[in-house]
Amino acid sequence: MTHRPYTPWLFLAPGLAVCLLFVLFPFLNMIVLAFTDASALGGGQFTGVDNFVRMVQDPKFWVAARNSGLYMVGVVPPLVLLPLLIAMLAQKIVPGIGIFRTAFFTPVIASTVVVGLIWTWLLDSRGLVNSMVEALGGSRIPFLTDSTLLLISSMVVTIWRGLGYYMVIYLAALANVPKDLHEAAMVDGAGPVRRFWSVTVPSLRPTMVLVAALSAVNGFRVFSEIYLLSGGSGGPGGASTTLVMLIQSVGRGLTGEVGYASALSVVLFVILLGLLLVTLKLNRREDQL
Amino acid sequence: MKRRTFLAGLAAVPVAGCGLSGTSSTSTGTTGQVTGEITFQTWSLKPKYTDYVNGVIDAFQKQHQGTSVKWVDQPADGYLAKVMADASAGSLPDVINVPPDLSFPLAKAGQLVDLDESLKEAKPEYLGNAWQAFEIPGKGGCYGFPWYLNTGPIFYNKALFSQAGLDPNKPPTNFRELEEQALKLAEKKIAILGQTPSIADFGLYGVKLFENDKFTFNEPKGVEFAESYKRMYDAGALIPEALTQNYTGAGAKFMAQQTALNPGSAYDLGKFKTDAPSLYANIGITTPITNTGSANMFLHGVSVPKSSKNQATALAFGRFVTNAENQVKFAKLASIFPSTSKGGDDPYFTTEDGTDEARVRVAAAKQLKTAVNYTPVQFSDQMREALLQQLADAMLGKKSPKQALDDAVTECNRLLK
Repeated sequence: MTHRPYTPWLFLAPGLAVCLLFVLFPFLNMIVLAFTDASALGGGQFTGVDNFVRMVQDPKFWVAARNSGLYMVGVVPPLVLLPLLIAMLAQKIVPGIGIFRTAFFTPVIASTVVVGLIWTWLLDSRGLVNSMVEALGGSRIPFLTDSTLLLISSMVVTIWRGLGYYMVIYLAALANVPKDLHEAAMVDGAGPVRRFWSVTVPSLRPTMVLVAALSAVNGFRVFSEIYLLSGGSGGPGGASTTLVMLIQSVGRGLTGEVGYASALSVVLFVILLGLLLVTLKLNRREDQL
Repeated sequence: MKRRTFLAGLAAVPVAGCGLSGTSSTSTGTTGQVTGEITFQTWSLKPKYTDYVNGVIDAFQKQHQGTSVKWVDQPADGYLAKVMADASAGSLPDVINVPPDLSFPLAKAGQLVDLDESLKEAKPEYLGNAWQAFEIPGKGGCYGFPWYLNTGPIFYNKALFSQAGLDPNKPPTNFRELEEQALKLAEKKIAILGQTPSIADFGLYGVKLFENDKFTFNEPKGVEFAESYKRMYDAGALIPEALTQNYTGAGAKFMAQQTALNPGSAYDLGKFKTDAPSLYANIGITTPITNTGSANMFLHGVSVPKSSKNQATALAFGRFVTNAENQVKFAKLASIFPSTSKGGDDPYFTTEDGTDEARVRVAAAKQLKTAVNYTPVQFSDQMREALLQQLADAMLGKKSPKQALDDAVTECNRLLK
């Protein structure tokens, strides 16, 4: 059989075409648009860095960037630690463990809109949680109508949704922790807590960095949770708006300012790229240690 | 009290999109033979009104031999995104169902056929206020055949009014009475409203919304109105969610009997009957709260894009779909009202038969004769959000009502450019 040099490209062509059309072209288009005053109906003049100057002076941008940052800080630690603890419990082969694993994984596959509606009903001023608080003699907590509490409530939903997903990643990693290490530690007299810190955690460090990176990126570009819990408004006065919500709000509809929305998207991309590079570097350093 | 959509399931989720490759449309001529194939796009009419729309299409094709109408119904979710994608690609269907606020940006971008220019003789067939709703203020031109209209009564919860010691048969008719009764209800820890005012409410209050190509709702009357809401909010007459809620959210709170009063439409009455029977038992129906004597009106229309390759047929079909006969038939099916000058004379809209539905229908049809579409066509979704956010800041005391309205007007005027 003769080897034709273009054969591999033929196999690659469909995937490459999809990538070029739906990933690379829109991405490059976004970068071009960021330097124009394009509207949703096309056109637009080149405006240089005007959109970026406007961004720096736009208080909404800073509120959104702060909220996205806070969101990331709020969700990453619980999403790195809690799924690990749950994975360690779910790892045990005991009767009924399947139900336990399924229960934790269900929120991952549930529709985001349904999840949002359920939590809205729970946290509404007349919702289940507030009814219980009132029944216990407390006064209603403005979970969805106070900008800070709205952010925290959304973080809780994100953490609740992410537990199952990251649990599965940890389960796979835990299966790879050599049993003889645990046995050796036990022989040396290490208890369960000592074994967790000295055997499990070091073995899982690369996985933890991966989970931290994934949850940080997802946390920073949060949209659905805040959108659904705030009824699309970004909280009272828009004070709980995140960066992705701001992009959606600026660029949506026929009257959308697509140029400015693209500039915001470019900034979001740069921030996320920076985040991933930092995690990558951290991971490499861990490997070298 | 804006209601963007008023047929079952009509609710749009706007989606952002990009595109530098916008096309400028060129007209291919509005005169010519009514023949050939066209596409007609509607907003969430399937499956409930499939038979009706197919009947209209069949009748048109019969009347104009050699024509063929392809019907495409888009679900409410993503309707704006679809129109936006088609508009920026220059491939809008030949006849599209759009409300005035959607036709405005398309017309402004030069993408729609001006009916004042190409089909002026059609104008007298429609109600003046409905035709006007599709004009670009100050610039003239009409960019859509008015289609179905609606206006709403105010629904209120008689039981909650009685609980607060108010006469359940004397609901508020103007905004002064609204505040008075709201404060009385609030004394008994009952909230009257589930929403802060929309731009249309400012219009109903008598505020000048738009003049000389600029928004003006921060005029003293507007500030007075926002201050009235601030007093009501401070007293607990608005539920906390009012600061973030849209029409649908406020309607759900009224259905759950968490608020005492809500604007609605004839369509809502059926919904109360089936989904909230305990509310239905106590429902009060009254005329819209207005200081101007006119009610607010909502409407949809059909527009013909300049990119249509068969404009003569598209225009003929647009006029046919919205003629008096077809509109009356549609209105009888869908709790809406015809926008034609003679459509409202049908006994169906003028005679009561003792039922609540007929009472609401007849009252609404009467209201429509003087009703105004208070929402300026220039008022975009971004502007609506700006007003909502500024009013929320005013209610929370972060800024004065005057400052909030000044900021909202500044933002709206910036977005106008």
